[in-house]
Amino acid sequence: MPLLGRAALILAFGLVVYAAVAGSYGAWRRRRLVVESARNALCGAFGVALVASLVLLAALARHDFRFTYVADHTSRELPLRYTLSAFWGGQEGSLLLWFLVLTGAASGAIALNRRLTTDVLPWTAPILGGLASFFAFLLVAVSSPFATQPAPVDGAGLNPSLQNPYMLAHPPMLYLGYVGLSIPFAFAMAALASSRNDERWLVATRRWTLAAWTFLGVAILLGAKWAYEEVGWGGWYAWDPVENAALMPWLVATAYLHSVMIQEKKNMLRVWNAVLVALAFGLSLFGTFLTRSGVINSIHSFTQSPLGSWFLGFIAVVAAGSTALILVRLPVLRSRTRLESLVSREAAFLYNNLFLVAFALTVLWGVVYPLVSEAVRGVAVTVGAPYYDFFGIAFGLPLVILMGIGPVVAWRRASLRSVGRTLLLPGGVAVVAGAALVLAGAGSSPVGLVGYTFAAFVLAAIVVEFIRGTRARRALGEPSWPRALASLVSRNRRRYGGYIVHAAIVLLLVGAIGIGAFSTTREVRLQRGETVTVDGYTLAYVGSTAERVANAKELRAHLQVTRNGDDLGTIAAGKNRYPAEGESSNEVGIRTDLLRAEDLFVIADRFDRGGSVFIKVIVNPLVNLIWLAGIVFLFGSVVAMWPDAREQARLARRFGEPEALAPA
Amino acid sequence: MRLVVALSVAAALAVFLLYTSLAGGSTPSVQPSQLAGQSGVVSLGGRVVGSSTGDARAAGGMRFTVRDPKGTATVPVVYRGTVPDQFKTGREVYVTGTLRDGVFVAEKDSMVTRCPSKYSAKS
Repeated sequence: MPLLGRAALILAFGLVVYAAVAGSYGAWRRRRLVVESARNALCGAFGVALVASLVLLAALARHDFRFTYVADHTSRELPLRYTLSAFWGGQEGSLLLWFLVLTGAASGAIALNRRLTTDVLPWTAPILGGLASFFAFLLVAVSSPFATQPAPVDGAGLNPSLQNPYMLAHPPMLYLGYVGLSIPFAFAMAALASSRNDERWLVATRRWTLAAWTFLGVAILLGAKWAYEEVGWGGWYAWDPVENAALMPWLVATAYLHSVMIQEKKNMLRVWNAVLVALAFGLSLFGTFLTRSGVINSIHSFTQSPLGSWFLGFIAVVAAGSTALILVRLPVLRSRTRLESLVSREAAFLYNNLFLVAFALTVLWGVVYPLVSEAVRGVAVTVGAPYYDFFGIAFGLPLVILMGIGPVVAWRRASLRSVGRTLLLPGGVAVVAGAALVLAGAGSSPVGLVGYTFAAFVLAAIVVEFIRGTRARRALGEPSWPRALASLVSRNRRRYGGYIVHAAIVLLLVGAIGIGAFSTTREVRLQRGETVTVDGYTLAYVGSTAERVANAKELRAHLQVTRNGDDLGTIAAGKNRYPAEGESSNEVGIRTDLLRAEDLFVIADRFDRGGSVFIKVIVNPLVNLIWLAGIVFLFGSVVAMWPDAREQARLARRFGEPEALAPA
Repeated sequence: MRLVVALSVAAALAVFLLYTSLAGGSTPSVQPSQLAGQSGVVSLGGRVVGSSTGDARAAGGMRFTVRDPKGTATVPVVYRGTVPDQFKTGREVYVTGTLRDGVFVAEKDSMVTRCPSKYSAKS
């Protein structure tokens, strides 16, 4: 069986190398048949990768500990879902997943755009083949999932903190996002290579970009939910380099999504977009590199893992290649359309881009600075949350305002007066909301108050947009309000889907401010019967239990929760001890109040022999809006992505081709 | 003209960024062997060796010894506050604090352990 896996990988390697080499030749010499063969090689590589993946999955399901990988990451007692998800839980398997998704996405994107990628953008297949070759090389020569050993009795198991449904879904979502960004990258570079300066490739890859960006965003939130519940320090985002690794490409991809709209409509910002898409993909490679090379802990541990050097080299090649391509094609890319006014939708999108990219670069600097400092000065430092929080607020608040202003500003040249008139109502709502919040006590955090006011402004602006649009459709003859709204959204999926996504971001902001600026914490030692009151909640320590379950011993402190005399049930917090892995994990108790969207968060730090328990009680207001934001975000993205026959027809007319671009 | 303005704004921002990151948000991160010259607040990182005594929740604090990850220099640490689950002899920990009379006095609740990497062999 391992032999089959290894053979499959070698075959896949051969196929993608062929795709890269032959495809390059075919693109250069304009040999259609060769280009098509390269494309077929990519599809073949996907099929073979699938075989290799099935081999690994089968080995995992069978607990075949002859496979070093299976032995290292699973154990007999591990529940099936975690055994199977160990596929992507370790180094080699995650590389195989990268390769599988890459060849799959490449085959799909090229198959859906057959005419485009064969005739207009022949370099697409070789570029994607080249990217895939790197991963295939790693899988074959450096880090194979099919290494074998004498089978041990039982495997090493999975770190208990990782046995969590959010951690199950997080990696595949993340990879779909990371790898998905390679599609717009490859198409963009192919367009540069072929010296095409029409926007067909933009339209062809729009949904791919949107999908990748959505997966990435959802993955980040899944990771945050895991951290909130499992690592359990009371917060949801720690600005850890591993977290930032996913955030950076997402921020740049967000900027890219906005600026391509400008390129599509106004033929502007071509150079900028080429840079952005290369940066987004480069950052996703960098993120992949960061989380597996061990480079974050210390620059010295970097040399221990050969994988780190390979990745760094690969990133350098990709960066150098795309930079060279952009520079060479600069004359072709330069657009003739100029920015006419600093108050226009184009300008608003540009400001949006500048803030997003600036923030992404700030995060990058925060991640890289410790390494640079150690390499250059020999002094290691750690960059803490205050740095990130400062710039998050400095760049984030203007971005929020732009979300409200952007949609109402006219193209080309807008008058400040008309913008002001349209935004009078949302502005008024914001002022009223601000005043109400101050009365409710939100003045304790001025930054939080400002954030909330901005959020109210944007939400009101979005609602106004929906109302205006619905009213217009009613005037056009729709029989009822719900039908008018439905037809409005259906006819302008991108725009209104986008508004829904903006609303999601605002929700996220409100939740983040709630937990960040307005949470309350109390640490106390309780004997049985004693109580503590935090922000209205009264907790009484009832007692502790120790229970044996499947592979753990669960120690819990039970507390009775009341608020204003109302019984709210009990909450349990404590620790799990895992004898097999010799680990213990923190199990926090969370009581979610859906109506207020707040969480009562209890950490049972220590159980004393005397029968008392040390607990930390945190009340996180509005934190559940963050998770709700994730759902709204997904919904908005799906609306924006939904295939639209009318839009397809319009694009076909614009680009003058009868069947134009296949829905992609 | 606009390009010049944009570039100078970017340059100013870059300088500001460099300054703040060098001055503000970072704390020197040292190992026991590097403690000698440090006088201010630092982040001490190293491997826990030997056994730990005392109670992190009591006034006396928990006492343990930290050693260079790849060396022999050690330093005793006294710590009060929350102890993460991953704390164990042989694990790498980070505490923030200052060196006083040969003992590293850690700030309350400053202990952090690195999660064992998913991607490397079990440590």
